[in-house]
Amino acid sequence: MFCYNCGCHLSEHDFCTACGVDVSLYKKILHVSNMYYNEGLEKATVRDLSGAITSLRQSLKFNKNHIEARNLLGLVYFETGEVVAALSEWVISKNLRPEKNIADTYIEMVQSNAGRLDAINQTIKKYNQALVYCMNDSKDLAIIQLKKVLSLNAKFVRAHQLLALLYIDSEQWEKARRELVKCMDIDRNNTQTLRYMKVVEQMLAPDENETAQSKKKKDDIVRYESGNEVIIQPANVKEPKSNIFTTLINVGVGLVIGLAAMYFLVVPAAVMDAQNDAQKAVTEIANQMDTKTQRIQDLEKEVDKLTDQNKELSDKLAGYVGTDGTLKNVDFLLNAAKVYLETQDVKQTEQQLGQIEQTVVLEDSSESFRNLYTLLLQTIGPELCKQYYNEGYTAFRNEEYETAIELFTKAVKYDATHVEALFNLGNAYRLNGDKLEAISTYEQVIQLFPDTERARRALRYKENLEDDLAG
Amino acid sequence: MINFEEELKKFNPSLEVEDAEEAIYNQDLTDMADLLVKMLKESEEKKEQ
Repeated sequence: MFCYNCGCHLSEHDFCTACGVDVSLYKKILHVSNMYYNEGLEKATVRDLSGAITSLRQSLKFNKNHIEARNLLGLVYFETGEVVAALSEWVISKNLRPEKNIADTYIEMVQSNAGRLDAINQTIKKYNQALVYCMNDSKDLAIIQLKKVLSLNAKFVRAHQLLALLYIDSEQWEKARRELVKCMDIDRNNTQTLRYMKVVEQMLAPDENETAQSKKKKDDIVRYESGNEVIIQPANVKEPKSNIFTTLINVGVGLVIGLAAMYFLVVPAAVMDAQNDAQKAVTEIANQMDTKTQRIQDLEKEVDKLTDQNKELSDKLAGYVGTDGTLKNVDFLLNAAKVYLETQDVKQTEQQLGQIEQTVVLEDSSESFRNLYTLLLQTIGPELCKQYYNEGYTAFRNEEYETAIELFTKAVKYDATHVEALFNLGNAYRLNGDKLEAISTYEQVIQLFPDTERARRALRYKENLEDDLAG
Repeated sequence: MINFEEELKKFNPSLEVEDAEEAIYNQDLTDMADLLVKMLKESEEKKEQ
């Protein structure tokens, strides 16, 4: 027993010897939990599983960390066929105490055998299906389904109870009694089972009266000994006088009775046998159908999954070979490299590279692609920057500021260290009347090239523009 | 005598293995010990105030 405040081991005192907290009430709660656990254990020992479930749940309401109570509750659930409830309790138990916990063994026992787990799941699905049949008033199908469930898991109490209820509804009292006896073999004190049993016993009671009546009839016979033989004869019947005619009539009556017995006893038995065989065949076919339906559903799911995968892969492949795809871009890159190596023409090389830029996310491309692309850009960048700057400057001098902005922007893009290009871009913005862009560009000049003449001029222009904007 | 329809309502569908995870997550694990600790802490906080 550990202190709820500091986690130290508690002594016989009503306070924690480590932190001094009053633990009297806490100890009482744990004692009550233990008491319920002991009660649950006793009930489980005598197969009062319903009572054990109630006591153990009560124990866990007082102390959720009572591992033994939780494990036993799982075991009791498992015994009544409630496998999922059992697994839930064991998983929680394992979570609360990961080491040295018997729940580990229980979980492994269920999960280690995939076939067994599958069978458990099939049982549950069939039980639920039987319940649906009951709701839809298909009671015969429900009975067949429940028989299948019980052939897979004979300890499933709820299935026994539902089957008994169906038998009660169809007034098959003896069959209902048999199911309820099986229920009681598993769980002796289940209230629902006891209630159904009471009704069934009441309905079967008239048979006992009949037995009593037959005993009474037996009293109407005369029994006496003649030498070593016991003679039994009805008390009020006189021996008829024997003659041939009577003998013939008796033989005839005997034959008729024999034929009647044949017709009423032997023929129904044969018919019953045939019906039983047919029923077995129907059950077997239904079983096969269920298995095949399940298999078809599994295969359909697999087909859907594979179709999706196929579509996904096709889309991916189309992306690789399409006009905007990666292979096309590799072509553009190789062409750009070829053009540069053959002609040293930076403009044409740039044109090829430009096509790649529009479609490719560089971060997603391969390393070799990225390396070649970067190398080409670094090789042609300064020359391109120079050309764009010269063209831009000509446009600037001709007061074609929009063209100049476009060309200076390209120059800066290919060589960010070209101070003249950046500074003149700012100037072009300013003279074109785009004050905000001009201020932003001048700020870049000040930041990137501090303590230079261009930075000082950029600062002056920037302040003038800010004054204009403020004014 | 037993009323079939009424009795049938007492039978609920069983949880399937796939639903076990959700059932575990949805279990309310608060116990009396938790409530006691909470009450004691609240009363201590009130005393301090």
